[in-house]
Formats: sequence, C-alpha cells, structure tokens
Amino acid sequence: MIESKRRRRMIANIATYFVLATLSIFCIGPMIWMLLTSLKYEADIVTQTMQYIPRRITFDNYVAIWTQSGFPRLIGNSLVVTFLTVTICVATGTLAAYAFSRFAFRGRTQLMLGYLIVRMFPAVMMIIPLYVVMRGVGLVDSRFGLALAYTSFLLPLFAWMLKGFFDSAPKELESAARIDGSTRLGAMIRIVLPLARNGLVASSVFIAIAAWNEFLFALMLTTGQGSRTWPVGLQLMVGEFQLPWGVLAAGGILSILPVVVLFAIVQRTMVQGLTAGAIKG
Amino acid sequence: MYLLLLPSLVMILLVIAYPTLYGMAISFREMRLTRPGLGGWIGFKHYAGMWSDPVFWVALKNTVVWVTAAVVLELALGLLAATALNRDLPGTKIFAVLILLPYFLPNVVAGHMWALLLDPRLGVINDLLVRVGVLQTYKAWFADPNTALAATILVEAWHGFPFFALLLLAGLKSIPEDLYRAAAVDGAGVSAQLRLITLPMLKTVMAAAVILRVIGLVNSPDLLLILTGGGPGDATQVLSLYAFQTAYKEFNFGYASALSVVMFVILMIFAVGYIRLSRITKGGGDD
Repeated sequence: MIESKRRRRMIANIATYFVLATLSIFCIGPMIWMLLTSLKYEADIVTQTMQYIPRRITFDNYVAIWTQSGFPRLIGNSLVVTFLTVTICVATGTLAAYAFSRFAFRGRTQLMLGYLIVRMFPAVMMIIPLYVVMRGVGLVDSRFGLALAYTSFLLPLFAWMLKGFFDSAPKELESAARIDGSTRLGAMIRIVLPLARNGLVASSVFIAIAAWNEFLFALMLTTGQGSRTWPVGLQLMVGEFQLPWGVLAAGGILSILPVVVLFAIVQRTMVQGLTAGAIKG
Repeated sequence: MYLLLLPSLVMILLVIAYPTLYGMAISFREMRLTRPGLGGWIGFKHYAGMWSDPVFWVALKNTVVWVTAAVVLELALGLLAATALNRDLPGTKIFAVLILLPYFLPNVVAGHMWALLLDPRLGVINDLLVRVGVLQTYKAWFADPNTALAATILVEAWHGFPFFALLLLAGLKSIPEDLYRAAAVDGAGVSAQLRLITLPMLKTVMAAAVILRVIGLVNSPDLLLILTGGGPGDATQVLSLYAFQTAYKEFNFGYASALSVVMFVILMIFAVGYIRLSRITKGGGDD
C-alpha cells in the first residue's frame, strides 16, 4: 500500500518534470536559436545542411547592427521615452494608488473600474485622435509626446498594481506618524513608500518593460530619426534593407537584453503584483 | 483627499477621455489626411459602408477564429504549466522564470524570431520536421493561406500562454491545502479532486484571465502586423489590423475610427455577456 503510493508519487514527479522541461524548451528554445543565429557567419546561416551548433563564432553581426545603422540612436530614444513614461506614472500614479488604497470615498469603486475599462478601448481608437491632437500641438514625432501617449494605458495599470502593494503595507505605523504630527503626504512618503519599496520598483519595472517594447503607438506617432524607438526602427530596417538574419538576430538580442535582466531581478515581486488584482477581483 | 487623485485624473482625462470621445466623433465624419479638402459630418455613411465591405466580414470572421483558438490554446497550456509549477518540486523556481519569460518579450522580436524559425528556406522547424519525416519538403507557413492563420496562432500562444500560467498559478496557490487532504480522506481520487475542488476554485481567476486576454487579443494587431501584415490575401486579416492599416496606410481616419468603434461595441457586448454568464455558472452560493 505504502509502496504503491510512493511509486505513484514518483511517476507524478517524473511527469511533472517532463511537462516543465518541455514547456521550458518551447519557451526559450526560440530565444536560444536567435542567440545562436546572431553568433553565426552569414555563410553558416544560409547553408544546405542546417548547422545546429555553430562551428565558428563571430561578433560581426553585433558590430554591424551597432555601427552600420541608426541603432544606437534608436536605443537612446527608447531609453528617453521609457524614462519619461515611468517618471510621469510614478509622479501621478503613486498618489492615486495611495488614495485608492487608504480612503473610502464616494465614487471610489466606479473610478477604479474606470481605470480598468480604459483597457477595453481598441488601440487604434486611441491612436487616431491622439495623432490628430498631438499634430495640433506639435507633439507628433516627439519623445515627450510618445511618453504621454504611453501614459494613457500604462498609468492605470501602474496605479492598479501599486494599490495592491499599498494595501499590504500595515496602516499602524502610518497612524503613529500622523499622531506625531506628520502630514498625510509626509506619512506616505516617509512610511508607506519605504514599506512598499519593492512593490514600487516592481510596478515601475513592469511599465518600463511595456514602454520599452511598445510598437503600435510608436509606429504611428513617430515619423523621423529624432524620436523613433527601437521596435519601429528594427521593423523598418527589415523592410527597407533586407536585413540579413544574423544582423537582425543580433539586434533582437541586444534589445531584449535589458528586459531579460530587469525581469530576472524583480520577477518575484512583479509576479506577486500582477496576480494580486486578479485573485481578489 | 481628492487632491491626491487630481494629477492622475487630469492625465487620464487628457490622454484618454478626450481622445476617445473625439475618436467616436471622427467615425461620423469624413477625414482623410491625404485629401484635406474632404470634411464635414456624414452620419452613418462609414457604418453603412462597412456593411457592404467584404474585407470587414473576412476580418470579423478571422478575429473570432484567431482569438478563440489562441485563448483556448493558451488556457490549456497555462493550466498545464500552472499545475506542474504548483507541485513545488525542487528546481521549480528556475522553470517558472523560463516559462514566464516570453510574455515580457516585445512583439517585434517575437515576430521576427518566429519568422526565422519557420522560414521556408532556412527555418529550423522545417528542418526538424523534415528530419523526423512529418514533412517531405520545407513549407512556407506564413505564405500559404491554409497554414498562415494557424502559424500565427502558434506564435501568439507562445507569447501569451505564460500570462495564463501566471494567473492560474496564483489561483492554485490560494486554494487551501486542507481541502485536498479532506477530500483524500473521503476517498476522492485525483480526477475527482480536480473536478470538485480545483476547477470550481479556479473559476474566478480563469474568467478574469480569459476576459483580459480576449480584450488584449482583439485590440492589438502588433503581432499580425509584423508576421504577415494580414496576408496572404486577407487570410490573416483581423479587425484591429484592418483598422490600423486603414489609418496608417490610407490615412482614412474616419473609416478606421468607425471600425474601431464597432470593435469596441462588440467587445463590450462580449464582456458584459461573459461576466453575466460566469456569474451564473458560479452558482451564486459563495458570494
């Protein structure tokens, strides 16, 4: 009886590892292939018989994408846009998240729902009017304009996620600080924010990744070198220059590098923040 | 108090409410950037035009197929991954990171990566399939109208299933261990436990995950724009992509707005109906 139970457990464990390994290969296999491709000579990519493990390695593709195109410029623009987006969201969204977390006021539920409903608007529906408006005020093809556009869908996400982290920070310390004469805002900045520090970082990283990756708004709202971000630039390079696979792969690897690093660092807190809302809701 | 909300409310009103209303207004107007002479209110002309636009109907059908297939596939894979991760065997954390990673990758890179994998001349998947004997020769997955939609669904499933894994895993973790122990004492087998405990307890999370994903998939044309651009022919044309191309390539803002208003209405109807339905099936006993 016990013997058979142990055996069943063992079979279940093996099955679990098999599932996990298969899914992992499915998930990162493509990325590994892209990495290998980026390290191959063009002659080894376009061959009769496929080379699974590259026989010789080169960094020429990386040098090519970095020096022979506007890639550094694109990355720079993306960095600026991402930074601006995160700054706007943190400056305004932190206050909103705090209000949602600490006060019960009239219209609170409706407002919070409104924050979510915003996600239901088709991107195109937002892009067209944004384009017209921004053209009117001269913000098309500007990094600041693009960051503003990103705020439209990232700010609600940020506030929603951060609220979850504020909810789990204890309220007692805050009350103590208020009794000692601290203002609401002072208590929030000195007590709550440090307590929810990890959450703040994770929420910021989440929207930073989203802004870094965004493609559609950037395609529509940027027209020139001055503000074009890397996803648009890379896509246009593929169309215009018939980018060789190795160079394209190198560009892909370079541009996902920051995402992978950031994700690896704050992954656990971020996952916690992303899932909190869905469980409660 | 309301002062705290003010900054973000102003931002939201500025970048959402105004553009949205403006966008709805545009859908009743003639607005083409290429022909500035045209203008003025035209009532429901765009909506009437949609009715007799064959591309609209193809795109509508493709949207339904694409979204349904992708969500079902992602839900199944996500459930599988979440169940496996939830057993908390040694090494699970590393697997979790690997499995979640695709969700955070940009569409542009995901698209080209898969284009490389499925390339008709040097795609490694073609090579593998030929080696094991499934295929006779390399196949042009994205150029063949019969396989293009399926191929894009595969890419989307790869990109999106970690989202389901993430939410479902959190849902599984919130089910108290005691329930399973009690069930085991009562002699419930694995399948009975799955049917009587796991699935009912996961219902809310699943419902939330499905609706969020459906909204996301209906609204964002990114991946299809990069992979196929709607082709070959209109084999992978979906509503969001059609609306975007109408705006971006033809600068016909009026018609594009009308298309996205229709999309929004369809989504609203779906969301309300879906939420009603998942409330009813929940049995109403627990809340």
